[in-house]
Amino acid sequence: MRKNRFMKKDNIFPITVKDLEELLNSKFENNPDLSISKFENKGKKALIFYIDYQVQGNMMEEYLLTPLLEKDMKWNNSTILNEIPLSNGKTLQSLDEILTDLLIGGVFIYVEGEDSVIGYLLLKKEKRSLEQSETESVVLGPKIGFTESLVTNLNIVRWTIRSKDLVLESFLVGELEPREVRLIYLKSVANETDINTMKQRISELEIDVVDDSSVLMQYLEDSTSTIFPQFLTTELPDRFSYSINRGRIGVLVENSPTAFIAPTTFFSFFESTEDLYMRWNIGTILRALRFISFILSTIMTPLYVAAVTFHYEIIPIPLLINLGQSRAGVPFTPIVEVLILEFIMELLRESGARLPTKIGQTIGIVGGVVVGTAAVEAGITSNVLIIFVALSALASFSAPNYLMGTAARAIRFPMIILGGVLGMVGLAFGLCFLVIHLLKITSLGRPYLSPVYPLRFQDFNKALFRLPPQFENKRFKSYRPKELIRYSREKAKQKKDIDE
Amino acid sequence: MDINIKIKDNLQIQAFYIFFVVVSIQIGVGLIGFPRLVIMETLQDSWISILIAYAYIVCVLIAMILILKQYDSSDIFGIHVDIFGKWVGKLIGMVFIIHFAISMFSVLITYIEIVRVFIFPNVSIFILSFLILCLVIYSVLGGIRIIVGVCTVLGIYSNWIFLPLIQPTLQMDITHFQPLFETPLPNLLEGAKLSGYSFLGFEMVLVLYPFIKNKKKITFPLFLATSWTTIITLFVTMVVMGYLSYREISIEQWVLLILYKLQTFSFIERFDFIIVASWLIIIIPNMIILMWGITYGMKRMYKIPQRYTLYIASLISLAASPFFYEHFLIQKVINLSAQLGFWLVYVYPFILLPIVLIKKRLLENRK
Repeated sequence: MRKNRFMKKDNIFPITVKDLEELLNSKFENNPDLSISKFENKGKKALIFYIDYQVQGNMMEEYLLTPLLEKDMKWNNSTILNEIPLSNGKTLQSLDEILTDLLIGGVFIYVEGEDSVIGYLLLKKEKRSLEQSETESVVLGPKIGFTESLVTNLNIVRWTIRSKDLVLESFLVGELEPREVRLIYLKSVANETDINTMKQRISELEIDVVDDSSVLMQYLEDSTSTIFPQFLTTELPDRFSYSINRGRIGVLVENSPTAFIAPTTFFSFFESTEDLYMRWNIGTILRALRFISFILSTIMTPLYVAAVTFHYEIIPIPLLINLGQSRAGVPFTPIVEVLILEFIMELLRESGARLPTKIGQTIGIVGGVVVGTAAVEAGITSNVLIIFVALSALASFSAPNYLMGTAARAIRFPMIILGGVLGMVGLAFGLCFLVIHLLKITSLGRPYLSPVYPLRFQDFNKALFRLPPQFENKRFKSYRPKELIRYSREKAKQKKDIDE
Repeated sequence: MDINIKIKDNLQIQAFYIFFVVVSIQIGVGLIGFPRLVIMETLQDSWISILIAYAYIVCVLIAMILILKQYDSSDIFGIHVDIFGKWVGKLIGMVFIIHFAISMFSVLITYIEIVRVFIFPNVSIFILSFLILCLVIYSVLGGIRIIVGVCTVLGIYSNWIFLPLIQPTLQMDITHFQPLFETPLPNLLEGAKLSGYSFLGFEMVLVLYPFIKNKKKITFPLFLATSWTTIITLFVTMVVMGYLSYREISIEQWVLLILYKLQTFSFIERFDFIIVASWLIIIIPNMIILMWGITYGMKRMYKIPQRYTLYIASLISLAASPFFYEHFLIQKVINLSAQLGFWLVYVYPFILLPIVLIKKRLLENRK
């Protein structure tokens, strides 16, 4: 590695205080932020340097400068390390390392004549306080969201998962700007092969800068060409710990509020922790609603196009009369009509997401009501289509994961075109293609469409619906956890006779 | 060429997936036209000929399993070479591949013909077969596990197609089945032979056998699959016979689709359009397995990479399909496929079985 090569060469110590000051100044020629102060005690000169706004000023004053100047001692490296009541002191020799640490909040003391510099990391971190997650909102359950600070996030993870088995492995990714990446899993539950695969993928990664966890995720995923996300992203510590507890692997990245989880299956994108917090029958209904709405959002408007363009016979006569009346004034073919309206819909949604919340709401109302009504009155689209488009847009929001919702949006357009070109046959073709495509995807080498293929019936009650607690004593077999059983089933379902 | 082959662990499949593979290859495009053929031959006793066919198929399956059990992990191509030597063995193996190819092609053109008749009279055959073959290529490129996956998922999915027959089932006329046992035996056997064509496909187990992880458990899913297909075929035939009169059956080419016209919901009027389109979901696994059989057989015997065979076979099918637009030409292909299938699947295993057993006995005696 490049860093190691330099380390040997640039050992410049011992050096006079004056020379060091000049050297530092030359390195920071265009940066006025470097503070260098000189002190002298019993004939020994010392130099303290740091970057002003990167360190915690009061801590430096209280624990570093005061003991150093007021205590009566002979200055050399060992006495200083002993006398200063800060725990994280270390001696550094390479100039390269010193400069790296200086940038992230190090304070350095150099006593003339010594062969190394003492450094303390007193980094000051500006961070926002803990807030409710904005991208994923839940009705029931913890609402706190991850923040940009890794330390805070680790703190939250430790709160939620209070297990001795919790492992938080650290990696540095990025050659130019190394950034800390944490691999989080439960040692006693998570599958070892998966952990090793993930470790290998992270450590073999050679990139200059990791921009965000979502970017790192794209480098680590199995297939880059598909539109379906293979790792689950989340901002909710609640959801994160839910997955970790079931034997999956989580990754947190410094400066990123989104964590991601692997391996995943297609069906896990429709899971919400809310399903667990509600009663099992209600949870089943809600989950079924999400699956139905995913299917609706992908095939509803294509079905309209196919039916109106080619097979109006499949629409019953009473409905056909209504449809014909509302479409009578529309000058476009159904496919053009649908594409225009879907485009407007996506436009509204995209601009609504970019604008601040208050304006976004206004735009939503203006767009939805005014444009919709005006489009019908102007004779560009039919009433029925407005309902279909609005419904399918609504349906695509019901997926608890934003990435899956976006995938549903993207599938719709090729389906519309297929429906407009080949009718029902085109739609059947699109559906077949989708199924084959989903079958081909893997996540960390595990099949994406599990438990449907490979068939694992005992996972159905976790992936597709929920059952009462006595049947949920096992973890997902699809993720191949080390420990499959969560609790003994016999105790959970003790039976009693009537009047006992 | 090795007689016994060792398949990598990550390519092996569990035995119970054989159920889905066999069901999805047996239920294909033939089912649409099959009830008419068998009813024309045996009238109200057609259920007997289907059951005769089923009994015969059970015998064939036992023979096939006995043949396969004589080897550790070999398929039909390896067994041929072992029994008949290099040249004759590969020739007979080639006949099997031709059988697969003709079956696949007949499925393709029959489906396109149905689409042309029912939905799009003027659709370009070339474009339709291009799209279907794209799907075939895309999934065969994924390898055996993806192919079995497609069969499983689409196979489970496509079973709903038999639900919209509830309305005609409830309106069946029971007198259509009477009087019982009127048809003479030759006609029943002829009907059984016709059913045999509809049941073709389970011979794929001869090729898939080395890929199965737990080979000892293969018998149950195999029999379950043929039984399930028989039940579905029987059900469909009974409904057609019970609902339609003989005269109506005799003038319709694809009687099964007529029944779907009957089923209406408050939001769907003509169900047959949806069924014809959805039949694509049934024929895709069908074609995928046959295509895989072709590519794998060529690789096994002549060491041609599967990719090449896949592309070449698809190109040939694509180029040939536009020429089959007349019904009698398509019928010729189907008849050829039926003839070849009959001799290869229903007669040939009983010739092969004694030879395999005798050879094994001789080898044991020599030791």
